[in-house]
Amino acid sequence: METALNLTFIVLLVATALMAVWARDLLAAVIIFSVYSLIMALMWQRLQAPDLALTEAAVGAGVTTVLFVVTVFKTRRREEEE
Amino acid sequence: MKRVLSLFFIAALGVLLLYVVASMPPMGDPQTPTATHVIPRYLERAEEETHTENVITGVILNYRGYDTMGEVTVIFCALAAVLAVLGRERRGRIRGFVDRSPVPSSTIVRTMVRFMVPFIILFSVYTILHGEISPGGGFQGGAIIGGSMIIFTTVFGLYESSRRIPQKVRAPLEGSAVIVFFLVGALGLVGGGNFLTYAWPHAARGLQPALVTWLTVLVEVGIGLGGAMVLISILFAMIREEEEIALTA
Amino acid sequence: MRLLHNYHYAAAMALFCIGLYTVIVRRNIIKKLIGLNIMETSVFFFYISLGYLDGGVAPIHAGSADPARMVNPIPQALILTGIVVALSVTALALSMVILLYRQYGTLDVDRLMREEEPAAEGAAGEGEGGA
Repeated sequence: METALNLTFIVLLVATALMAVWARDLLAAVIIFSVYSLIMALMWQRLQAPDLALTEAAVGAGVTTVLFVVTVFKTRRREEEE
Repeated sequence: MKRVLSLFFIAALGVLLLYVVASMPPMGDPQTPTATHVIPRYLERAEEETHTENVITGVILNYRGYDTMGEVTVIFCALAAVLAVLGRERRGRIRGFVDRSPVPSSTIVRTMVRFMVPFIILFSVYTILHGEISPGGGFQGGAIIGGSMIIFTTVFGLYESSRRIPQKVRAPLEGSAVIVFFLVGALGLVGGGNFLTYAWPHAARGLQPALVTWLTVLVEVGIGLGGAMVLISILFAMIREEEEIALTA
Repeated sequence: MRLLHNYHYAAAMALFCIGLYTVIVRRNIIKKLIGLNIMETSVFFFYISLGYLDGGVAPIHAGSADPARMVNPIPQALILTGIVVALSVTALALSMVILLYRQYGTLDVDRLMREEEPAAEGAAGEGEGGA
C-alpha cells in the first residue's frame, strides 16, 4: 500500500516534469511546473519532512510560479519555432 | 545533430547515475552510514543543547548558524541584484501589468481574497513564532506572507497593494534578517561565548533555557519579516511597468 | 534488485536527466529555467530520500517521539536553505530575462547569440510579428 502510493507520486512527478518540458505554450508549462512542485511537497510530507513540505508548497507552487507567470506575460507566450 | 549528441550524452549520464544508485545502500535502512554516525547525537542532544523541540530549527539556527547567516545574505544580495536590474517602483503613479488586465476580477474573487488574506498572515505568524516546537520557522512563514501578498497583488493590482505595504516600510525591513542575525551573533560575544552561541556562559544557569528560546524566536522573526519583505519587493519590481515598455509588452 | 528497492533515488536521477535535457536542448530561456528548477528539485528529493528511515517520524521532539526512529534532520535543514536560495536564483534569472527581452525582443538563445547589436524598437516589433 505504502509502496503503491509512493510509486503513484513518483510516476506523477516524472509525468508532470515531462509535460512541463514538452509543452509548447510557456504558460501551460509554468502551470504544469507548479503542479509538479505541489506533488513534490506531498512527496516530502510522505518522507517525513513537514518543514520542507510547507516551504515547497509556499515557495515552489506559489512564489516561483507567479514570478514565472509575470515573466511570461511580460515577454511572449509562445515558444519560437525553429 | 546537436540534439542527438546531447540526447546520447544524457542517456550515458543516466546509465552511469543508475549504476551508482544500484550500488548504494538500501533506502530507509537504519544501518546505513548516513543514519549511524553523527545523527544519533544530534537527535538525542538537540533538545537540551538548543532548547528547541524541532530539531530542524535547532540545526538551522544553532548548529549551522553560520550557514544560515550566509544564506540569508544570499537572499538579500538576490534582492539587491533584482533591484539593480529592474529598478524599484516609483512612489507616485505606479502600475503593474495586472492593473490593465482586460478582465477585471469578479466580486466573488475580490471578497474572498479580502477575507482570506488576514487569516493567511495570521497562520504565517503562527508558523514563525512556533517554529521551534512545531513544523515551521522563519523561511516558511516568510514565504507564506509573500504568497498572501502575491494573491492580493494579482487581484487588486500594484497600486492597492503598495499602499498596504508602502515602500518606506519595506525598504528598512528588507535587511532585517541579516541585521538581526548579526546582532544576535554579536550578543553571543558580549555574553562571553563565541559568535552565534545562544547560550551565554556568564549568564545565570537558570536563565539559560529562556535566553536561548527567546533569542531563537527573535532570529526567526527577523528571518520571517526579512524574507517576506524581500519576496514582496522582488514581486513588485518584476510586476511594475514603465511607460515605454507598456507600448510593446 | 537494489535498483528496484531504491526507486526514490532512481526517480531523482530520472528527473535530473529530464532537467538537464531541457537546459541543454530547448532553446527558449524560460524553458531552460524550468529545467533548471526541475534539476534543483531532483537534487533536493535525492537528499531527503537519503535521510529517510523505514517507519520514521519527523524530527520533532513532541509528545513521546522516540529519537531512535526519527529521520535524519541534517539533509532537511540543508535543503530548507537550498529551496530559498533556488528561489532567489530563479528570481534574479527571470528579471534578467525580462531585461533581455526588452533589449532584443526574443527569448530564443540561438537568435540571441546571432544578434550583434541591440536593436530595441525594431527587434521588439519584429518579434511581435513572428509570434
